[in-house]
Amino acid sequence: MNAHHDVIVIGAGPAGMATASVLGEMGLDVLVLDEQPRPGGQIYRNIENAPESTLRLMGEDYAKGGRIAARFRASGARYESGAAVWQVDPEGFVCYSRDGASKQVRANYVVVATGAMERPVPIPGWTLPGVMGAGGVNNLAKEAGLVPEGRIVLAGSGPLLLLEATQLIRKGVNIEAILETTPRIPQISTARYMPPAALRPDFLWKGLTMLRQIKGSSVPHYKGVTELAAVGGERLARVEARNGSEKLSFDADLLLLHFGVIPATHVFSQAGCRMKWNAIQRYWHPECDQWGRTNHERLFAAGDGSFVAGAIAAQCKGELTGLEIAHCLGVIPDHERDVLAAPLRRSLRSDALPRPFVDAMYAPAPGTLKFADDTVLCRCENVTVGQVREVVRQGATDLNEVKILTRCGMGPCQGRMCGPALAEVVGQELSRGPDRVGRLSIRPPLKGVSLGEIAEMELMNMSSEPANLFKNQSK
Amino acid sequence: MFKKDESFINGTVRVTLDGHPADLPEGTSVAAALLGVGELTSRRSPSSGRKCGPHCLMGVCYECLMEIDGVKRQACMTPVAEGMVINRLLAETGEDA
Repeated sequence: MNAHHDVIVIGAGPAGMATASVLGEMGLDVLVLDEQPRPGGQIYRNIENAPESTLRLMGEDYAKGGRIAARFRASGARYESGAAVWQVDPEGFVCYSRDGASKQVRANYVVVATGAMERPVPIPGWTLPGVMGAGGVNNLAKEAGLVPEGRIVLAGSGPLLLLEATQLIRKGVNIEAILETTPRIPQISTARYMPPAALRPDFLWKGLTMLRQIKGSSVPHYKGVTELAAVGGERLARVEARNGSEKLSFDADLLLLHFGVIPATHVFSQAGCRMKWNAIQRYWHPECDQWGRTNHERLFAAGDGSFVAGAIAAQCKGELTGLEIAHCLGVIPDHERDVLAAPLRRSLRSDALPRPFVDAMYAPAPGTLKFADDTVLCRCENVTVGQVREVVRQGATDLNEVKILTRCGMGPCQGRMCGPALAEVVGQELSRGPDRVGRLSIRPPLKGVSLGEIAEMELMNMSSEPANLFKNQSK
Repeated sequence: MFKKDESFINGTVRVTLDGHPADLPEGTSVAAALLGVGELTSRRSPSSGRKCGPHCLMGVCYECLMEIDGVKRQACMTPVAEGMVINRLLAETGEDA
């Protein structure tokens, strides 16, 4: 295979498939590198093989992925599954591992469509087997038809937690309780986002239907719970929480956690993209122009990886990025790009109307993020909140200092699971925002690959300069 | 812990799990396949020594890292296949990951 392409797209969720479809249909040489075995991303996972029962249960929001995937397959874009990208260079070089061998490829433009992940929020006992992401368990349903069995507790915050609850209720799953950590009384800022949300009654109707289904079931639903904890020895045995003055305790086989969704930003950080802090959602995201272009001319961000806005927005953003790249490659003139972009921008605007309301409603309020000293913060290296606080008291002020001193963020997940909470803990300890404690340096390889695999890799002639793995790290 | 939606029932593949032959449902990731037959433990944490189970199920957390055909891989990102040799490294004095 040729090692040079017009465009490389990383990820095949709604954004990646949309970008690749637009560009592939124009006859461009597009290589799509997807870590998963089949296109769809998380939201449309396994969509090409989904049985009728899953399509019926998950509804049109899932089923429409089938059409997106079909368009993608027919677009002429080349799809490589099981491809784990471990380095992206601002000049368009991409290294990835597939079937135990690594390759370096290059493109004029690289589109990073790596999507989003569930916000990891450490609670006591969250390392116990049996504690899983609610979105992860939803993936098991899509991919393998696995339905939770036994005593199930759902806990956390956000519309996807309630969506998962309604799907499980419809499957007849025995839910012991839904423990929402969202404050019972919404933050005042929520009110000003009501008028635009009211312009999308269909969206609000969906939300109300969800809440009515939960209410209509016999599942105990607690709001505004605190002190959420998983308890057990070798595996989860019980879930505890506080509901006002009442202490709650539920025997449980599975605890499904969900605290909203954040962009997966490791590729952007590694490539040295300029990042921006969102104070409402409390996450970092790459700074982009209206087409998804980052501060690096050749690097684009598309979909939830650039900012979490859901599948419909991700698809629109993916198409917009595709149009701009086609324009940059001289395939379409700017007026054609703009004409094609207009309906996409209209869809984006309409889709965005209710979002600030929902976001504000479920925004992680700083005060509700309380971490106990003995809670494990870094799962990989077994570092507790208390150990991090201790080194901050001793003078550490930057996340990378804390990492060096405690090993927090140094394990195989490379800070994906502890990074956001680590910033909250260090920020709280220093009485400043989590955006003012630095960011963990992210270096290649982004995914575990053996040194042998790297040594055997055929390298393109990049430049005459000696290798400098850290040249893209912005401080 | 999990039961299977009937419309998903497909064949099985024969693998070697921790040195013993095992039949796992085909067409899914190793992590989903193991959960599907009631195996909740994915490995023993090299740092805490405690047992781990799959957590994020989307390639983020590395809690399902196991030795698959001689290489440490994320079980949730690896499709299960006939003849696979899967070692979860559950011994109490597990080697360092």
